[in-house]
Amino acid sequence: MSWLVVARKDFEDSIRSRWLQGLTGLFVGLVALIAVVSLRLSTGGETISTNALLGANFMGLLSGTLVPLIALVIAYSAVTGERESGSLKLLLSLPHSRADVVFGKVAGRSAALSTAIIVGFVVPAVILALGPLSLDIVSYIGYTLLVALLMSVFVAIAVGWSAAAPSQRVALGGAIGLYFLFVPFWEIIQFPLQIAISALPEWVPVSGTAISNALFLSNPASAFRGLTNALLQGQLFAGETAGLQVAALSMLLFWLLAAPLVGLLVFQRRDL
Amino acid sequence: MSAIQLSSVTKRFGDIEAVRDLDLTVESGEIYGFLGPNGAGKSTTINMLLDFVRPTEGTITVLGEPVEAAGAELRERIGVLPEGFDVYSRLTGRKHIEFAIDSKEADDDPAEILDRVGLSEAADRPAGGYSKGMRQRLALGMALVGEPELLILDEPSTGLDPGGAREMREIVEAEAARGATVFFSSHVLGQVEAVCDRVGILHEGELVTEDSIEGLREASDSEATLILTVDDATDDDLDAVRRLDGVSGAAVDGSMVTVSCEAGVKTDVISTLGEAGIEIQDIETESTSLEELFLSYTDGEGVVEKEGTGTGEPAVATPEGGQ
Repeated sequence: MSWLVVARKDFEDSIRSRWLQGLTGLFVGLVALIAVVSLRLSTGGETISTNALLGANFMGLLSGTLVPLIALVIAYSAVTGERESGSLKLLLSLPHSRADVVFGKVAGRSAALSTAIIVGFVVPAVILALGPLSLDIVSYIGYTLLVALLMSVFVAIAVGWSAAAPSQRVALGGAIGLYFLFVPFWEIIQFPLQIAISALPEWVPVSGTAISNALFLSNPASAFRGLTNALLQGQLFAGETAGLQVAALSMLLFWLLAAPLVGLLVFQRRDL
Repeated sequence: MSAIQLSSVTKRFGDIEAVRDLDLTVESGEIYGFLGPNGAGKSTTINMLLDFVRPTEGTITVLGEPVEAAGAELRERIGVLPEGFDVYSRLTGRKHIEFAIDSKEADDDPAEILDRVGLSEAADRPAGGYSKGMRQRLALGMALVGEPELLILDEPSTGLDPGGAREMREIVEAEAARGATVFFSSHVLGQVEAVCDRVGILHEGELVTEDSIEGLREASDSEATLILTVDDATDDDLDAVRRLDGVSGAAVDGSMVTVSCEAGVKTDVISTLGEAGIEIQDIETESTSLEELFLSYTDGEGVVEKEGTGTGEPAVATPEGGQ
């Protein structure tokens, strides 16, 4: 299991990064801040449930906007950075295949960032649970894990891109492009698209809902939002959207594997 | 079985031909020095052995396996010190060695390896703070993990002081004594001649000669330069000398005649000049050194750095005796 050795090394290397340590602190701070602000704004009295906290708009913004950004920033240089510094030669001098390197890096870096997420969500919750926060443990853990999954999906996209990119600069440019594609652009086209879909002529063989669902599913950020909304409503993999939720989860897992695989196909043929 | 075999290997990067139609065989158990000036194609060749880059034409087998098809498993049997590598700056020296041990599924003791390459004291410091020489030692340590059958070392003495270069040579010799094949590249002849069974000299992507150090030495000993002070001579007077067997060149500059020839024909040269009516006033003989021989193969492009004087400044010299 050569990729596991690479993953462990990448994890150990990543958690020593000041960036990652700073990010962990940032998550702790932001989650705590959102909790305090939600508490102030709440009209329900002295306490607030974690479900209300997670459902807050700020929280959606934190997970849906900041998490993809951080994943892309941390992982875009995973392969190109090592290729340019030369540490990739040290890595590939050992009995690791290029596939081990790409998948090992996805695993190692996802694990490191997931650690930051878990610390960032759990530490403030535990502290605030002593005070005014009433903790719904199951949904809180579920939400945290879904954020970690979203983070890992964007890490996989970034590492895949990094493996395919010919240089560090292209890798950075592409990462910025991917962010704008998946986050703001997707949001912007939603509304005009809905209008276009509602005006579809009858002869079109697919329904407007199907197109809209496909679009919703293919973006990891919106698939994540669908799943977390269902989770907070106590409807995870239940209710009328159950099928769509399963599809959303499958799509996240598909991204997790397909993005590094496509990057690997390009990387395989390339001279170091 | 040969440890390394390249057959008609060519590598082009765009329009640039880095390696041209290279045939090279390294036998099992030998120490092979791969010599040539910077930019001769040594690293490209080594990168092809490791499947870092792929040949445009030709086939490469290492330890009997075709490199590209064999994949990562082949590298379990090889120790590599690559050129232009970098360390993981946040991880300690010990972590690097442990990583190599885990990667090769070996059972070496990290402390023992670190001691062998002289990094025991720095073992628990992040490698980002290591000097160039220490990084080189660390990568050598990683290469030694798992008692590889073949060691491929690209410019192993880079960044090492003379003492470090000597330790490197001792390690190379110890590994060869254990039975490993060692293939290492250098642009410095001094590092190669002390340890190598055989050397190949690469120049502009082509193997220009391949011999044992003794063979090269014989070639250099047998080659001599005669410097004669004469009363008067023209270039035409030298034609008879140039026709002699064993004379590779002759030139005149005023009263100075320079003849490059095999050591055995020196008297013939002198008597031929006498027959042409040239009066010889003084005779000096210079034998060609191994360094000069190396330089003559590489159009004077090599860097000859004598051990101990290693200031790092390349002392570029051209061979004497207008060849």
